[in-house]
Amino acid sequence: MPTVTLSDALLDELVQICGEEHVFAGAAARFNRARVPSPFPVHRWDEFVPDAVVLPTSAEQISEVVKLANRERVPVVPRAGGTGLTDGAVPLRHGIMVDVKLMNRILELDLEDRTVTVQPGINMLKLSEELKPHGFIYPDNPASYPCSLVGGRIGTSGWSLIGGRYGHTRDLVISFELVLPTGEIVRVGDGGGPKVRKSSSGYQLKHLFMGHQGTLGIVTEATLELVKRPEAEFSAFYAYPSYLDAWRATGDFARSGAATLAGVVLFDEWKLAYLRRDDEAYIPQPESVKAVVALALYGNDDEVRASAKRMLRLGKASGGTYLGDEISQGDWASRHDRYATPLHGRTRDGQVVPMSWHCEDASILYSQLPAVREKWHAIAAGLRERFDMFDDWGMFAYTNGAFKPWGDYLTEIDIGIWEMQWDDESWAAWVDAKREIARVALEHGGSISACHGSCREGEVDLVPEELGGGFEVMKAVKRALDPNNVMNPGKYLLDRAYEEDAP
Amino acid sequence: MATREVGSEGGDGALTEQFVAEWRNAAYNCYSSGHKFCREVCPVMQVTRDEAHTPTAFHANVVAMEQGHLSIEDVARDYVHCTQCGACELRCPNTLFTGDFYRFRTRTVDLVKAVRALAVESGVHQPGWQRWNELTDERKNEPVLNGTPVSQEHVADWADGLGLPVGGETVLFCDCEAAFYRTSLPRAVARILQAAGVEFGLMREQWCCGGPAAEMGYVDQARRFAEHNVADWRAVGAKRILVLDPHDYISFTEDYPRFFGDDYDFEIVLVVELVAELLREGKLTLSAPVDRVATYHDACRLNKRKGIYEAPREILRAIPGLTFKDVDHVTQWSYCSGAGAGLSIERPDLTAEISRRRVERAKRLEVDTLVSACVWSERPLSEQGESQDVEVVDLMELVAQAAGLEL
Repeated sequence: MPTVTLSDALLDELVQICGEEHVFAGAAARFNRARVPSPFPVHRWDEFVPDAVVLPTSAEQISEVVKLANRERVPVVPRAGGTGLTDGAVPLRHGIMVDVKLMNRILELDLEDRTVTVQPGINMLKLSEELKPHGFIYPDNPASYPCSLVGGRIGTSGWSLIGGRYGHTRDLVISFELVLPTGEIVRVGDGGGPKVRKSSSGYQLKHLFMGHQGTLGIVTEATLELVKRPEAEFSAFYAYPSYLDAWRATGDFARSGAATLAGVVLFDEWKLAYLRRDDEAYIPQPESVKAVVALALYGNDDEVRASAKRMLRLGKASGGTYLGDEISQGDWASRHDRYATPLHGRTRDGQVVPMSWHCEDASILYSQLPAVREKWHAIAAGLRERFDMFDDWGMFAYTNGAFKPWGDYLTEIDIGIWEMQWDDESWAAWVDAKREIARVALEHGGSISACHGSCREGEVDLVPEELGGGFEVMKAVKRALDPNNVMNPGKYLLDRAYEEDAP
Repeated sequence: MATREVGSEGGDGALTEQFVAEWRNAAYNCYSSGHKFCREVCPVMQVTRDEAHTPTAFHANVVAMEQGHLSIEDVARDYVHCTQCGACELRCPNTLFTGDFYRFRTRTVDLVKAVRALAVESGVHQPGWQRWNELTDERKNEPVLNGTPVSQEHVADWADGLGLPVGGETVLFCDCEAAFYRTSLPRAVARILQAAGVEFGLMREQWCCGGPAAEMGYVDQARRFAEHNVADWRAVGAKRILVLDPHDYISFTEDYPRFFGDDYDFEIVLVVELVAELLREGKLTLSAPVDRVATYHDACRLNKRKGIYEAPREILRAIPGLTFKDVDHVTQWSYCSGAGAGLSIERPDLTAEISRRRVERAKRLEVDTLVSACVWSERPLSEQGESQDVEVVDLMELVAQAAGLEL
C-alpha cells in the first residue's frame, strides 16, 4: 500500500488555502482522525493515519485543496462526523483529510417553500433545535442522531429510524453542492432549482452522488426538507413467545397501510438475552418472552389516534403482550442510546469486558428473515467459538422502505468485539465472517448493506457480484470523474477502475 | 498549528506508564462505545469543531499512548480545550445506561485533570497556566485582577463595614474572583445571611481553595493550599463551611476529601441551597419587587457536576416582580460560559465565544437579565452581555435586592 508523506512545501500550500489555524500536522490531530466506530484493527492503527488534516470553511477552499491533491497525486479523504459504520472516513492511503466540521452554519431557512439550506458539518439534533421555534423538524433520525453530520449522511446515503413515515436521507435531501474529484464545484438535485423536489430534466444525478463513501466528491452545502413537527407520537412494544410469532406480527403491522407508521422493529431472542444482562426494562420479563416487536406512529393528532387504535387491534390479534406504557414510551425515546453498551460484553465464561458494538447490516426480504437469522447466528457462533473476544448481541429487523415499509427490512446482527484483543489472526477471521454474512444476504436475494455501505474488508469482495454490470458502470464513472484516483482511494474495489483492461 | 511533529517517545516513560495503567480501562470503555454523543454538548467542541478536543479523543489518546503512538508532549495542548463542565459525562450512553447496574460513570473530567497533572509532572507546561499558578503561589490568591496584584492584606476588604467576626463554628469561604473582583457577590451573601440570622465568621488567612491549580495539573500546589485552609478552619474552630462559588464547592467536596480521607469532617454548605432553605423556613423574606425579565444560567459545576438545579430555580420563583423565563437543566447541559478549568487563561478567545453564544441564547428569550450562580462565569458573560444588552447578575445579588438589603 503506497504511503504518502507530504512535503513541507505542500503543507505550506495547504496553510495558504485554509489558513494556519485550520491545518494540522501534529500526531494527535492525525491519530484521532484515523478511525470510525466500525471495527478498527487497533493493533495496526498507524496504517490508517492521514498525513495532514484541514478544517476548511468554504467550498472554494475545498476545491483548491482537491486541485492541489490532483496536481501532487495525493489522496484526499473527506470526513464529517466520523460516525459511519463502513470505514468511509478512514484514510486507507493516508493523504490529506478534509474534515468539514467547521462548516456547520444554517445558510437559509425558507418557511414558505419549506426548505432549510445548511453546510455539511451541522448535526441533525442541533439543526432540529434551531427549527423548533418555527414548528419544524428535520427528521433524518439514525441511531447516531445526536452526533452524525449532514455531509456524512449524504456520503453514506443514510437510513432513518422514522424513515417509514418521513423518508430516509435520500428522500430528505433535495439538492446539494459538492466539490468533484477534480475540484469543480457543482450542484446536483432532483431538478434544476435547488428547492425542486421532482424533475425529469436530465440524468438523475442526486442519487449518484449519495452513498459513494467519499469516492466521488465532498459535499459543501445541502438543501433539506422541512417537516412540520408532529402533533402526536405513539409507540408500542409487544412481547411474543417465539420469533416466528413476532415475525408474523411484524408483517401485520408493516402491511397495515397506516400512513403514520414510522417503523416496525423486530428484536430476536438473542437480542433479548443481551438486554437481559442489565437493561431494567428487560430483566423483569419472564423467560417465556422470546421476541419483541416495537412500532412507532407520528403525525397529526387525529390521524395518530385512529391508527394507534388499529395497531392495538392488530397487536392483540397477533397474540402479543403489550409491555406497558413505560417501556413503550421510554425505550422508544432512548432508542439512540440504549442498545449498544460496551459493558454488556461477556467472555464465554461470563466475564464482563468492554466490547465495541458492531452492527452488520443488510437489506433482507420479509419472507427470508427467519432463514437468514439462523445462518447469521451460526456464523457468529463460529467466531465466538474460535476467539473469546466476539459475542453475539442478537438481531434487529427494521422496516426498510420509505413510505411503503413492508417489502424488505434493514436486518442487523450485532456483534460485540473486545477490540483490545485484535491480532492478525482474529482480524482475518472477522473479515471472513463478514464476507460470509454478506454471502448469506445475497443468496437470499438481499443487498449487502441497507444503510452503512458495503465497502469494508470482506464484504466488499462481493459487491461486484451484487451489482453485476452495475459495478462496471461504477468503475467507468469513477475513472471519468476521478482520473487520478485521488478521492478516497482504496474504497469499494475502485482501484480496479484504473487497471489497464478496465472499461 | 501547522508545525510538523513526529510522534515523540520522549518524556518520563515511567510516569506515562503509571498513568496508562490507571486509566486504560476507563479509556477502553469510551473507545469501545464509539457513540460520540458527548461531542455536540461539549461547549468547546461546539466552537472549535476539532475532533482532537473531544472526550472521545481524550480517552483514545490513552490507548494510543499505551501503544506507543502518542506521548504526553503530543497531546498535552489538546487537553487545554476543556472547561471541566461535565456535560460529556452526562451525555455518555455508558453513564446513562449502565450507571445503575454496573455503578459506572464516565469520568472525563478526572481524566482531563490526570493528563494535565501528568503533563506538569513531565515538565510540559502551558505558559499561561504556569504563570497563573506561580503568581497564586506567591500571593496565596489567584491573580484575578489582570496585573493588579492581589494579596492576603486585602483578601477581606470586600467585607469592610459589615462587622463580620473571624472564626466561629461556621465560616464563609470567599472565592478569589469574588473577594477581589466581583465584591458585590460576597457582600450580598453576607447581608442575606445576617438578615436571616445565620451566625458566621471569616477565616484568619484565606488562601485560594487550590481548585484551579488542581484543574490545571499543579496538584502539589493544590494540596499545599488545601492543607493551609483546613489548618485555618481547625484553628478557628470551624465545623461548617459556607461556600458561595461552585468551583470551591467542587474543591471542598471532591478534592479535599481525596487529600485528607476520613480526617476531613467538615460540613460543606452551598450558599444557594442554604438560602433556598431559609426562604422555605420563612427566615428570609423577599418583598421588594425586582422589575426584570430574566433567565437562569445553570452553573455547570452545580447542574452537571453536582445535580443542583432546583434550588436556584426555587429562589428565582420566590422573587416578587421577576418574570422568570426558564430553560430546563437538561437543555443547559450544552450551555457554558467557557470560564472554567483555566480555559480563559490559555484560550480567552474561546471563552469569549462560548460566552457570546450563551448570552445570545438568553437574548432570544427576550430577557433583559441573565442570572448566574457562578461568579467565574459572570465576568465573561457580562462582557458579552454589554454588547447584546443583557445584564448579568448573580442570583444572590438579586436576592439581596428583593430582600431590600443595601450592599
